[in-house]
Amino acid sequence: MHRQVGLKMAVDLYFFFRVLVFPGFTFILFFTFFCDWVERKIEARMQNRVGPAVAGPAGILQPLADFMKLLTKEEIVPKNAKRFVFKFAPVFSFSILVFAVSLLPIDGSSAIPGVSFQGDLIFIMGLVTVANFLLFLSGWASSNPYGSIGAARVLTQFLGYDIPLFLLALAPAFLAGTLSIATIAASQYLPYIILAPWAFVLFVITLQAELEKDPFDIPHAESEVVGGLETEYCGGKLAFLHLTRDVQIVFGAALVVELFLGGPYGPVFFGPPALWYTIWFVLKLLAVVLLSEYLTCLFARLRIDQIVTANWKFLVPLSVLALALTAALAVWIYPMPV
Amino acid sequence: MGEAVQIKLAHLGIASIQVAAESVRDIVEIMLETDPNLGISAITGLDLGENIGVMYHFRLNQKLATLISEVPKSNPRIQSITDVIPGANFHERELFDLFGVTIDGHPSPGRLVLPEDWPVDLFPLRKDAKIDNLPAQGESSTEKIASAPEIEGTLVNLVVGPQHPALLEPEKFSLKVDGEIVRAVEPRIGYVHRGVEKAAETRTYLQDVYLVERICGICNSCHATCFVEAVEKILGTQVPPRGKYLRTIILELNRLHSHLLLLGHAGLEIGYETLFQYMWRDREPIMDMTELITGNRVIASSIAVGGVRRDLKETDISKIKLEMEKLRKRMDFYQNLYDKEPSLKMRTQNVGVLSKEDAFKLCVVGPVARASGVSMDVRKDDPYEAYGEIPFKLITRNEGDTYARLLVRLDEITESINIIDYALEHLPTGPFRIRAPRVVPAGEALNRVEAPRGELLHYIRSNGTAYPERVKVRTPTFANLPSFLKTAIGGTIADVPANFVSLDPCFSCTDR
Repeated sequence: MHRQVGLKMAVDLYFFFRVLVFPGFTFILFFTFFCDWVERKIEARMQNRVGPAVAGPAGILQPLADFMKLLTKEEIVPKNAKRFVFKFAPVFSFSILVFAVSLLPIDGSSAIPGVSFQGDLIFIMGLVTVANFLLFLSGWASSNPYGSIGAARVLTQFLGYDIPLFLLALAPAFLAGTLSIATIAASQYLPYIILAPWAFVLFVITLQAELEKDPFDIPHAESEVVGGLETEYCGGKLAFLHLTRDVQIVFGAALVVELFLGGPYGPVFFGPPALWYTIWFVLKLLAVVLLSEYLTCLFARLRIDQIVTANWKFLVPLSVLALALTAALAVWIYPMPV
Repeated sequence: MGEAVQIKLAHLGIASIQVAAESVRDIVEIMLETDPNLGISAITGLDLGENIGVMYHFRLNQKLATLISEVPKSNPRIQSITDVIPGANFHERELFDLFGVTIDGHPSPGRLVLPEDWPVDLFPLRKDAKIDNLPAQGESSTEKIASAPEIEGTLVNLVVGPQHPALLEPEKFSLKVDGEIVRAVEPRIGYVHRGVEKAAETRTYLQDVYLVERICGICNSCHATCFVEAVEKILGTQVPPRGKYLRTIILELNRLHSHLLLLGHAGLEIGYETLFQYMWRDREPIMDMTELITGNRVIASSIAVGGVRRDLKETDISKIKLEMEKLRKRMDFYQNLYDKEPSLKMRTQNVGVLSKEDAFKLCVVGPVARASGVSMDVRKDDPYEAYGEIPFKLITRNEGDTYARLLVRLDEITESINIIDYALEHLPTGPFRIRAPRVVPAGEALNRVEAPRGELLHYIRSNGTAYPERVKVRTPTFANLPSFLKTAIGGTIADVPANFVSLDPCFSCTDR
C-alpha cells in the first residue's frame, strides 16, 4: 500500500519535474532567452556591431534583463482598447506556444510524457495558427491605426504562409509514413535534409515569413507602422509579446530540427542518452537560428504586396511540387519501414 | 508698363528686375516664354518701413535672376504665381506667415512654418513685430494627436509624425490611406522653427556664421560657406586660392558625410539594417578627417569671412589620401550591392517616380532633380570656391525613382573623393585667410552653393553696421518637399518611408 503511494508520488514528481523544470517550462523559457541572446549576438557580429555586452558574461543575461525590466514598468491600457482581449491575448498566445514546444521531443521524448499520438503534427501546426491569430487579435484590440495595420499585416502574412508551411511539413511525414512528430524524428536514420533538400530550403524560407523575420518582417516595419501590433503595449504585456515572439522563433527552429535534421537523436558517447539528446537538440537548433539570422542580415524588407505575390505565385506551387516529388520518392525510391 | 520696369544687370543673380506688384505675374509669364523650365528658388520678404519688399529669385536658364516688387504695409496683397509655377506654393505660404503678405489666389493658403495658434496679426520678420506679449503655447494647440483613427468613408487618416520612427526630426504628414494605398498627403511643417532668420538680425556677422552653421548639423559647412560668400560679395573680399581649396575640401567632406549617412539611413527605412550599419561604419573615417582638418567632428566651424580658420598640415594630406583610397574601395562594394541586391531593388525601383516635367514644375533641386534627368548643380552652373578649376562629372539619371535618387548619391560619393584627391594634389601655397572688416558696408547679396541635398540659397542685406538687416535662407529640403507630396500619392504605405528618405529630408533646415 505504502509502496504503491510512494511509487505514484515518484511518478507524479517525475511528471511535474518534466513538465515544469526539464525539459518543460523552465528549460524552454531559459532556452528561449538563450536563443534570443544568440540571435542578437550573431546579428550584431554580422552587422559589425558588438551586440549585448553588459548584463552577464558577453551580455548573456540581456534578454532576461530586458524581460524583467519590462515587467516592472507601468501597465497602461488605452481607453478605446478592447480590454479583455488586449490584456490576455499576449499571455494566451505565449502559453499556447510553450505548450506546442512541450509536445516536441527534446531529450528523446516530449516534455509532457506519453502525449505523443498519431497526428500530433497537424495538431501542433493548428496550435501555432491559433497563437498567431491571438497575436492578430492583440493588435486589433488596441484600437490604434498602427496597431490595426500591423495586425492586418500579421493576418495577411500568416494566412498566406501557413499553407505552404503546412504542405512542406507534410513532406517529412510522407517520408516517414506517419503524422507523429516523435516517430518522424526517430525514423530519420538519414536526416530528411539529405533526402529532401528542396523541401528543407522551401520550409526555411516559409518559416522566415511565418516568424516575421527579414525579408518578411513586414508587421514589424517600424519605419512604416511604428511598433505594428505592439504599438499600444507596454509593461508586462509587452514583455509577454516579446517573449511570445522569441518562443515562436524557438518553436520554428525546433520544428525544422524535428522534421529535417533528425530531431534530438545523434550519437550517444557515454552517460544517459537524454543528456546527449538534449545537447544534439540544442546544437541543431542553434544551427537553424544561425541560418535564419544569416538570411535576416542578407536582405531588405519586402513590401506586403510583394510577399503576398511571392507566396501565391511561387511558394504555394513550389510547395505542392516539392510535396509531390517527396511523396513520389517516398513510395518508389526510398522505401521506409514504418 | 515701360517706365515701371527697372533692370539692373549683375545684381542679385545675373539681373534684377524691379516691377510694380500688379505686373509680377505678367513678368513671370514672359520669363516662362523665354525659359519654359523656369524654376523658383525662393521668395524673400523685406521690411522697408512703409512698404514690404517681395523678391522672387528665379532660376532662369540655370542662372539666378531676381524680380523685385513692393507692396504697401497697410494693405499687403500680391497675386499668387503658384498656378504658373507650382513650386512657388510653399514659398508664398511662408511669405504670408512671416511677413503677412496676403497671397491672392493661392490654392491652399494657411500656416506653414508658424503654429496654428500663433496670433493672426503678428508677423515675426517685420521690424515692428513685438513678441513680448506672446501668449503661452501649449493647451491652446488645436492640433490633434495620433491616437484614434479618423475615418472618412473608406479612407483612414494615418498620421506620420510629429514623432515617428521613420522621421528623425519632428514634422507631421497626414496620410489618407485606403487599405495600404496612399490617396492624399497633407504636410505640416514648422515643428522645429527656431526663427534663425530673425535671430541673425540681432547678431553680428561674425556671430551669424556660427548661427547659420547650426541651422543643420549635417550640411553645416555649406550653410557657413553660403553665408560667408554672400558677406564677401558685399565686402568685395577676395579669398586667397589656398583658402578656396581648403573650403572645397571641407565642403566635399561634408557631402561625403551627408551622402553616406543618407544611404545608410535609406537602408534602415527599407528594413536593411546590415546596410545601415556598414554605411555608418564607413562614414566614421570621414568624421575623423573632418576633425583632422577643422578640429571638430560634426559642426566644423572652420569657414570664416576671408578664408578658413585653420591651415592644413602637409603631414595630414597623406592621411586624408589614404582614407579616401579606403573609402573608394568600399564604394566598389556598395556599387556592387546596389547593382545586384534583389530585395533592395524591389523596394526602391519604380517607387515615387518623379518625371522630368514635374521636377521642373515643382522646382526641385540637387540629387532629386538630377535623378529625374535635370542636369543642375550649382558647382557647375555657378562655380564657387575652387569648383571652377576642378574637373568632375555631373551625375544624372533618367529614371526619377527612389533607386535613381539613391544611386545618384552613390556615384556622387565617388566624384567627391575625386574632387578631394584633386584638391589635395593641386593645393596652392600661400595664405589661407585674409582679415576682413567686421562692419559690412550697405548692400545686398544673393548667393547659392550646392549643399549635399541640393541648391542652398542665402540672401543678405546689409545696412552698413556690424549687424545684418535681413538674412534669408532657403534650404534644399524646403524646395524638395513638394515632390514628395506628389509622388507619395498612389503608392503604398510601405513605399512612403523609402520614397521620403530618398529626398534626404532635413527638417531642421526646412524650418530654420
